[in-house]
Amino acid sequence: MPGLLAKERIIAPPDYNRWLVPPAALAIHLSIGMAYGFSVFWLPLSKAGGWNVSTLGIMYSLFFLFLGSSAAVFGRWVEREGPRKAGVVAALCWGGGFFISAAGIYWHQIALLWLGSGVIGGCGLGLGYISPVSTLIKWFPDRRGMATGMAIMGFGGGAMIGSPLADILMRHYASATEPGVWQTFVTLGVIYLIAMLCGAFGYRLPPSGWQPAGWAPPVESRRPMITSGNVDVRQAWRTPQFWLLLVVLCMNVSAGIGVIGMASPMLQEVFGGKLIGVAGTLKDLTPEQRTQVATIGAGFAALLSLFNIAGRIFWSSLSDLVGRKRTYFIFFTLGIVLYALAPAAGRSGSVALFVGIFCVILTMYGGGFATIPAYIADLFGTRYVGAIHGRVLLAWSAAGILGPQLVNNIREARIAGGVPPADAYNSVMYILAALLAIGFFANLAVRPVAERHYMSDHEGGTL
Amino acid sequence: MTEPGPGSRGPRWALVALAWLLVGIPLAWGIYRTLRSAVVLFR
Repeated sequence: MPGLLAKERIIAPPDYNRWLVPPAALAIHLSIGMAYGFSVFWLPLSKAGGWNVSTLGIMYSLFFLFLGSSAAVFGRWVEREGPRKAGVVAALCWGGGFFISAAGIYWHQIALLWLGSGVIGGCGLGLGYISPVSTLIKWFPDRRGMATGMAIMGFGGGAMIGSPLADILMRHYASATEPGVWQTFVTLGVIYLIAMLCGAFGYRLPPSGWQPAGWAPPVESRRPMITSGNVDVRQAWRTPQFWLLLVVLCMNVSAGIGVIGMASPMLQEVFGGKLIGVAGTLKDLTPEQRTQVATIGAGFAALLSLFNIAGRIFWSSLSDLVGRKRTYFIFFTLGIVLYALAPAAGRSGSVALFVGIFCVILTMYGGGFATIPAYIADLFGTRYVGAIHGRVLLAWSAAGILGPQLVNNIREARIAGGVPPADAYNSVMYILAALLAIGFFANLAVRPVAERHYMSDHEGGTL
Repeated sequence: MTEPGPGSRGPRWALVALAWLLVGIPLAWGIYRTLRSAVVLFR
């Protein structure tokens, strides 16, 4: 009899409802999405352990690095062993990472924090992120984009739950002698472990050959960008399409991450006192006025995170109707126009126009993440979509370093060259637009994968 | 081949509703908290 976590044990019974799979995937993605919200710990941790924020910020680099690497390395294992085992391992890594980090905070050992949440937790991020992709695409062949978009929306929304929850817990545990951070890590570890295990045990696979009632696979001659064959993950990286998608994702994410990192200070520096109805730049304001402006900047960052998650479900669902290539075409063309217009919007003094531009940009950042699994499934087939997606996510690791570095270095170089801080963002916008132009041409070059790359029938290459 | 068994028309809608509530309630709470922070932009 197959083990509790085996793929064979999770074949859906006849009365199974496929709409049970997305909430299972969401339980995992909402948990691991807390990675985005870790900055809520920086100030309390700097008090608890005496670490500075830049030391703690290494956690984000570790997250991106290990998310991409583990997804790439273990993607094939996830496909072979099935989503339940992958989900359980992800839960143990992510939840367990919180426990190790709690020990690190308790004993004042930063290395334990990096190891726990950064390295082990980062592997949990990668495994958890790709665990439902292949399963969702198999359950929703008629709505691949929407199905994966629902799960990936959870990753964007995880910090919205985790950050305020962590804040409440830290207030609850805080005492006169310590800020209650290690207790918060233990509590969150328990919550995430349970939530992710529930998600992992909720996964079911459709029986072989299952299709939704009344649905037939698209005829390839009518929709050439959707293949009926399958490409092995070991073969996929030998195709130009793999590298083109990697560039497409990397450019889209680099531009978006660049904006997310600078959103709050950018709004404050570009509009200064205008945000609170006072004349003058940020430097001319009193400390109280600066606090008010900073609150508005934080509100802007919160608004962007909402548009980020809304874009994940909106664009990925739209891609089911208009096709993936056209969806990315919209991301890149509209993105270039909006980035190019942003400096003019800042100069015009219209806060609403400026905020609106970045809200739309952030929908496309989220949409890029959410649409890529369906794009991969269309081009390479569904057999190894999770594993190939895992490798394409290396683009995320690269973008996590490229985007913020590019933005910060250009901005600092411009300011060092005598440009006022408010105007230093203009060059950044044009550079981000140039990144999107690279993505535009990469997307334009995507063609169906040549049939010689497909697996043969005897390897299980047909649907 | 189209299987008559599992799929969108299957039963268990009560379970589906419960599963969505379990993930939907925390997500809605998170969105509400974020909206509360974002509302200062429009004051």
